[in-house]
Amino acid sequence: MVDYFQERGFNTVEDADRSREEELERHIMRLMADFNLFDEMGMPNQLAPPASPEIVNNLPEEKIQETNCGKCDICLKEYEKDETVKIIPCKHKFHSECIIAWLTKTNSCPLCRHELPTSDPIYEQYRKEKKRQKEREIDIENLHNSMFS
Amino acid sequence: MANIAAQRIKREFKEVIKSEEVAKCAIKVELVNDNYTELKGEIAGPPDTPYEGGNFILEIKVPETYPFNPPKVRFITKIWHPNISSVTGAICLDILKDQWAAAMTLRTVLLSLQALLSAAEPDDPQDAVVAKQFKENAEMFHLTACHWTNIYAGGPSVNKDFDDKIKKLVEMGVDEHEARVALSSYNWDMERATEQLFS
Repeated sequence: MVDYFQERGFNTVEDADRSREEELERHIMRLMADFNLFDEMGMPNQLAPPASPEIVNNLPEEKIQETNCGKCDICLKEYEKDETVKIIPCKHKFHSECIIAWLTKTNSCPLCRHELPTSDPIYEQYRKEKKRQKEREIDIENLHNSMFS
Repeated sequence: MANIAAQRIKREFKEVIKSEEVAKCAIKVELVNDNYTELKGEIAGPPDTPYEGGNFILEIKVPETYPFNPPKVRFITKIWHPNISSVTGAICLDILKDQWAAAMTLRTVLLSLQALLSAAEPDDPQDAVVAKQFKENAEMFHLTACHWTNIYAGGPSVNKDFDDKIKKLVEMGVDEHEARVALSSYNWDMERATEQLFS
């Protein structure tokens, strides 16, 4: 039987505590961003950390069926029949060994810079905060335009 | 050198030679040694910039871990630019550091450097003296950069006034390049440059 509270989307106390923790974390990150602490840590000028090993291991694979279907943009070799390629979430594909070597160094697509999740909690927070800041800027811009246009 | 680096450079080398930019004489690469670890690059100064008409030579060192790490590039030809050291030729460009991506090639690096000559970023300087002049005295920066292009890169615009000032300092026993650096750094003020050189 579905619980009355569950049905109405209420959380149990445990979950509530967790979201309070998340809320606190969010405030701390925002404070860090507002006081340029990420900048001071050198975040924007550092190579982003490697993609999380779990994500890398679970990337979908494909076997090359025929020759003449393009080249790998990392080693620049033409794909040959029966070679294995990995496809990353932005749909770009590379030789398995080539893309694994790259993603164990940094988390973005060599072609379009689409970022894969990392297992570095501080970097993930920094990335979230960067995204939130951009959204805030857009919101402020929209608000401004709605008032003055 | 790891196999992948050498093999890739070989492929890229062919790509650059066949590219349309080479046909237009905008970029060029040459081998320095047989094992593809060191190359010589060349870029033409872009039009409508103080570097127009000049040819700039670059030293390119390919690391064993290429293309997973960027090539090490610096200007051999002396150049007056906010993002390039007037002393060492070291370059401040994000794609040669943290923004490198494994799909970039010698060709895209050379084209990015050419773009850097067209659009300096004085807020992220390599040479603080040049960057300060770029921001505070744009006209003086332009004249100085033209003069350096003329002297070191074979550019066309001769600046008689600057040449005369350098000649005077050389007659006083100062090394020509040192005289040029001092005058360039002090907006071609003879008095202040002399003071700095002899203090």
